[in-house]
Amino acid sequence: MSFPPALLELLVLCLGLALLLVESFTEKQDRTLLAYIGMVGLGVIFLILQLLPPGPTGMASYVFDPVAIFFKKFVVLTTIIVLIMSVDYATTIQRFVPGISSQAGLGEFFAIPILTCAGMMWMASAIDFILIFVSLELVTISFYVLVAFMRRNASSLEAGVKYLILSAFSTGFFAYGAAWIFGVTGNTNLVRIQQVLPALGAENYSAILFGALLVLVGLGFKIAAAPFQFWVPDVYQGAPTPITAFLSVGSKAVGFIVLLRVVQAFQSLPPVGDKVVAALIILAAATLIYGNLAALPQTNLKRLLAYSSIGHAGYLLMAVAGISARDSGQAVVIYLAAYLLMTLLSFLILIIVSNYADGDEIVNFNGLSQRSPLLAFGLLVAMMSLAGVPFTAGFLGKFLVFKVAYESQQFVLLALGIITVGCGFYYYLKVVRAMYWQSAASNGATIPVSGLSFATIVLLVLFTFLLGIFPQMATGLLR
Amino acid sequence: MAPIVFWIFVILMLGFGLSVIVSRNPVTSALSLVVSFIALAALYVSLGAFFIGVIQILVYAGAVMVLFLFIIMLLDLRVEIRKRMNLPAVSGGTIVIILFIKILFDVCYSFNGGHAEFPAVSVATHGDVWTIGTMIFRYYNLPLQIVGTLILVASIGVVILSKRELK
Repeated sequence: MSFPPALLELLVLCLGLALLLVESFTEKQDRTLLAYIGMVGLGVIFLILQLLPPGPTGMASYVFDPVAIFFKKFVVLTTIIVLIMSVDYATTIQRFVPGISSQAGLGEFFAIPILTCAGMMWMASAIDFILIFVSLELVTISFYVLVAFMRRNASSLEAGVKYLILSAFSTGFFAYGAAWIFGVTGNTNLVRIQQVLPALGAENYSAILFGALLVLVGLGFKIAAAPFQFWVPDVYQGAPTPITAFLSVGSKAVGFIVLLRVVQAFQSLPPVGDKVVAALIILAAATLIYGNLAALPQTNLKRLLAYSSIGHAGYLLMAVAGISARDSGQAVVIYLAAYLLMTLLSFLILIIVSNYADGDEIVNFNGLSQRSPLLAFGLLVAMMSLAGVPFTAGFLGKFLVFKVAYESQQFVLLALGIITVGCGFYYYLKVVRAMYWQSAASNGATIPVSGLSFATIVLLVLFTFLLGIFPQMATGLLR
Repeated sequence: MAPIVFWIFVILMLGFGLSVIVSRNPVTSALSLVVSFIALAALYVSLGAFFIGVIQILVYAGAVMVLFLFIIMLLDLRVEIRKRMNLPAVSGGTIVIILFIKILFDVCYSFNGGHAEFPAVSVATHGDVWTIGTMIFRYYNLPLQIVGTLILVASIGVVILSKRELK
């Protein structure tokens, strides 16, 4: 089949632009229709991705390898589920956006994530610092808008400003680092850099290392690794919940693919590559400790999930730090697949419950098992999987990460990982306790769930179990 | 260019850059930024990158900064209120900055490439506009298109976040 893979992003882009045009030229149309069109369109893109074989693209800065295909499918799927969440969340958006008509601004709220998705797909394929930079900026700038979208909500605006300032700051580090690397190697292309590096003299090592570490700082902000995680709790809590889910799954995943490709490129020069790995080990240890310990006292589920997302970045960094092991890349991929299932599942249920209870504190989940057994069971599965209980996808991910750490002899990290998993059990099970052991508050009615969300919850629960029980399914993720 | 001229512009650029952060009056900050940009443009010109130097003045010192000043005056921003110093944050920040500068100096001194002769930015037969144009439109066309998308998203975002009543 001669379908040029670079056309995929353009199709996604056209879909987003078409939705914007439909939005501006129709008056009375129900805006949620736009979200459904977006979901169907992205579904078609997902099918095309499923059929396309990896192969050469004829472009120096753009690859279409199995890893790129996996991440493209990953972000397309994430965007579809984010759109499903956004439809559920539409009433909250309407409350906080000033408008003449009742559905003001909703069309843009559904269309911008699709443009973000195109940026993320470009990042999945980019192997040139310039392409990485511009697509990273496309993703970040659309997130500035989305995070601050609820203009009448002070915490959403605060989150937007914090994200804008810290993200721009980290972009500065990334660009400065890339400039140093270009200055030494004369290349922005990661493949060319990998070829050029071994020939460099020892007097250049400190400059290369400096550039690599600056890039690492820039990416550390994007993937929310400690000590660059200060923005995470406030931004995640203030942003509209579907966008929080998008940030914590999509934005983190594309940060990791760039990190993998950059770290891989520096492995061709062991004196520098080893130091980059050492920096990754420190980052991973700090992230594991901070994310898991700070999550312990949280009483708000959205904030708890923010800290949990920092903790999971720590496990993922463990896998990246074990780059010398053969399965490092695969462990990252499978962990992210599991992370997508369980995180989006918890955010979807969080949106449904908090819409009804008008709050996202853990107290709002008290007695959920009596009110809505399905939602409670779904969140139970998500929490079990996030904690890493066997027979769920989360367990498989953690198992593979620990295996990589063992094979690459990172025993300190391995011990830290096992201890922090113990912490995880405490704070994830706190939510389960609220749902199953606490009695419900005054309004004990069943929470209404739309058909589409119901189907999504069932599918996500099913896949969480399938991936946990049949690990061989996971290896098929990277053809 | 004589080193003395280089140092004059560097000191101008850094000094006014510092003044952007330190001064409490937003108009002073904005005007300091203009001077800093002009000094930066002079450095570009001294490296032979005439086009980038001109663009730096036209776009940044001209368009962007005028817009900044316009907004500051339109909103009638007063002198910033002096806040109490957060001692742990300030001392932590200072330590990070000092360490960063130390590393930067170490790297710059050990880096040999910094003393090497680089090829001229502009090709004698065509000039640097030609070089930049070929680079952007022939080799970096995809990133250019993505920048287009980026600007589109940014402008939609501005409308969404600032329009009084959305339709």
